[in-house]
Amino acid sequence: MSEKTILLAEDNPDDEELTLRALRKYNITNQIDVVRDGQEALDYLFCRGAYASRSPKDVPQVVLLDINLPKVNGLEVLKRVRTDERTRTVPVVILTSSAEDRDLLAAYNNYANSYVCKPVDFDQFAEAVRNLGLYWLLLNQPAPRPQPAGR
Amino acid sequence: MKAPRTTLRRKLVRAIMLTSTVALVLTGAVLVSHDFYTFRRSLVHALVTRATMLGANSTAALAFQNSDDATQVLSALRADPSMVGAALYDERGRLFATYPADAPPGAFPRAPEQTGERFEGARLVVFRAVSEDGRRVGTLYLQSDLRALEERIRVNAAVVVFAMLASIGVAFVLSTWLQRSIAQPVLTLTDAARRVRDDRDYTVRVAEAGDDEVGFLSTTFNDMVAEIQGRETALRTAAARLRSTLDSALDGIVTMDHEGNVAEFNPAAEKMFHRTREEAVGAKLADLIIPAALRESHRSGLAHYLETGKAEVLDRRLELTAVRRDGSEFPVEVAITRVTQEGPPLFTGFIRDITERLRAEREIRQLNEDLERRVVARTAELEASNRELEAFSYSVSHDLRAPLRAIDGFSKALLDDCSERLDDDGKRHLDRVRSATRQMAQLIDDMLKLAHLSRTEMTPQRVDLSALGRDIAASLQQAQPDRAVRFEIAPGLVTEGDPHLLRIAFDNLLRNAWKFTSRRPSAHIEVGADPSNGERVYFVRDDGAGFDMAHAQLLFTPFQRLHRQSEFEGTGIGLATVQRIIQRHGGRLWAKGAVDHGATFYFTLSEGGSS
Repeated sequence: MSEKTILLAEDNPDDEELTLRALRKYNITNQIDVVRDGQEALDYLFCRGAYASRSPKDVPQVVLLDINLPKVNGLEVLKRVRTDERTRTVPVVILTSSAEDRDLLAAYNNYANSYVCKPVDFDQFAEAVRNLGLYWLLLNQPAPRPQPAGR
Repeated sequence: MKAPRTTLRRKLVRAIMLTSTVALVLTGAVLVSHDFYTFRRSLVHALVTRATMLGANSTAALAFQNSDDATQVLSALRADPSMVGAALYDERGRLFATYPADAPPGAFPRAPEQTGERFEGARLVVFRAVSEDGRRVGTLYLQSDLRALEERIRVNAAVVVFAMLASIGVAFVLSTWLQRSIAQPVLTLTDAARRVRDDRDYTVRVAEAGDDEVGFLSTTFNDMVAEIQGRETALRTAAARLRSTLDSALDGIVTMDHEGNVAEFNPAAEKMFHRTREEAVGAKLADLIIPAALRESHRSGLAHYLETGKAEVLDRRLELTAVRRDGSEFPVEVAITRVTQEGPPLFTGFIRDITERLRAEREIRQLNEDLERRVVARTAELEASNRELEAFSYSVSHDLRAPLRAIDGFSKALLDDCSERLDDDGKRHLDRVRSATRQMAQLIDDMLKLAHLSRTEMTPQRVDLSALGRDIAASLQQAQPDRAVRFEIAPGLVTEGDPHLLRIAFDNLLRNAWKFTSRRPSAHIEVGADPSNGERVYFVRDDGAGFDMAHAQLLFTPFQRLHRQSEFEGTGIGLATVQRIIQRHGGRLWAKGAVDHGATFYFTLSEGGSS
């Protein structure tokens, strides 16, 4: 079992930095891979394009997925992740500014594992990120690794 | 028929006269004949008596055969002129003496006969034996004319005839007077009957005429005429009513007989078909108002009905085409009904020109279609603008928060990372930045909530506002247990509405009251309802900071606040939220208050709510 990585899909550099800052603040030292649009997120997860060299065995411990992503939006990314054998069991947490009902519904209908609204207040935001890290990295038991086809 | 004016009188008089005349004549005849026989008997008797006396007087003359004496005795008869003759025969039957003495012997019977008497023509003849001491000595013969009898009869008959004539005269007078009492009432009755018949004067009444048959007839006549008068009046009234109905009806009313001829044609029909009643009545209905194309089916329909008693057109509303005098056709609505009466059927049609109605219907249909089109267009517009609004709030929700988070996050980072390079002023400024950021975040959240309220669907059900109030009050007191606030919530405030929305509204109102009494050592918050103009007005009253009524209209404007943030915190969205919810429930929201004297918020809710 390799080191537990976190995939952060976030197009806003401010949010990205604040998220990373919050994780660091609470001494979460795991590898954090950042993708900045939906297409890149899919490439990362399916090990293609710029990430073709990435090993499909390295499934992130948790995906922190924003909804408002360029190219392919977060909900679409979630849908594709859930419809693909290889990534179906990856824990996906929607981390977004929106608390709209329809976003919540769409996320859960596509089997998001969790939905977290980013608070504006940094203290609260940092607290939320800390809790996420603690839960998904330490408490949660992920599904057994899938056996990728052709390997 | 001419009234038999005089016959009755004449008949009555004639009957009375005939009766009395016959009676009188019979009576007279009986009297006269009775008198005749009585008198004749007395004549006989008198002659016999005279013969007996003369015989007695003649015995001596006979005994002595002295004819002169005998003639002398007989001559005494001269005193009586009715004595025509007398003869005395002797014992042997020889003529002895005669009266008159000079009369020829041939004037007397040759030989005497037995004692007896008889009438011989106009004479009375008596034979009497003359006896002397029981021995017959001769025979006396007397002959008398009947002059006295004739005289008697003549006189008697004259008296009887006179009496009869007098009686008949009296009877005539009496009968003339009597017939009056019988005939007069009958004649009066006849007169009255003629007036009823000829003049149709049903007000005629005859005087009561006693209690006999004529009287009964009079009374009956009066009753009958009164009955007729009543019926006549009823008939007239009914006819007048019918006429006025026909005249004033807005519908054309046309009556047709079983041969298809028009029997009635009211003014509305005249106007509708441009035909006068005079030309219409009697004409064929089909030729008058039915278009040529429909005439044949009209004729066959009528024939079919007369034959079978079945008609599809009766007692239904039909929409047909009719034709005016000038040949122009127009749409009509027709109801045909059979008139209930004896004899051949009559049909009445109620006809309404529906040109205008059809035009109006067309117009309405067109307007409706237009309206529908417009509604569809507006709905589309509205849906589009709703979608835009939704997209807008979605975008706000996503995009407006991110920069704020960055401002707050990096301010915090600055404070954390560069605190040794920042003096106290710098740190305080950064705190202000962060506080403002959080406030803006709150504003955005509230605004989104408000927008959300307008979009969520309502599910009206029974809501107990009293329980809701108590619940919210409890949670407020729990959050700040050190505050001395007395809640007074009226029980039984039950209404219909969306429980979720009403909770938000009530929560805002009570939270508001709670907030604006926060500067009082103790406070009183009251929740209740008053009936007003047939609706229930709910209120939430506090004795807190209150407000200036001059600004009352600003209370419910979103983000509009009447107090400084430093006095009371808030985004100014709460009351706007309440108003939106009350509006969605079909109610009104208003407030009264005064600075430092508390505020009261009133609202109504329509039954069942509305969106």
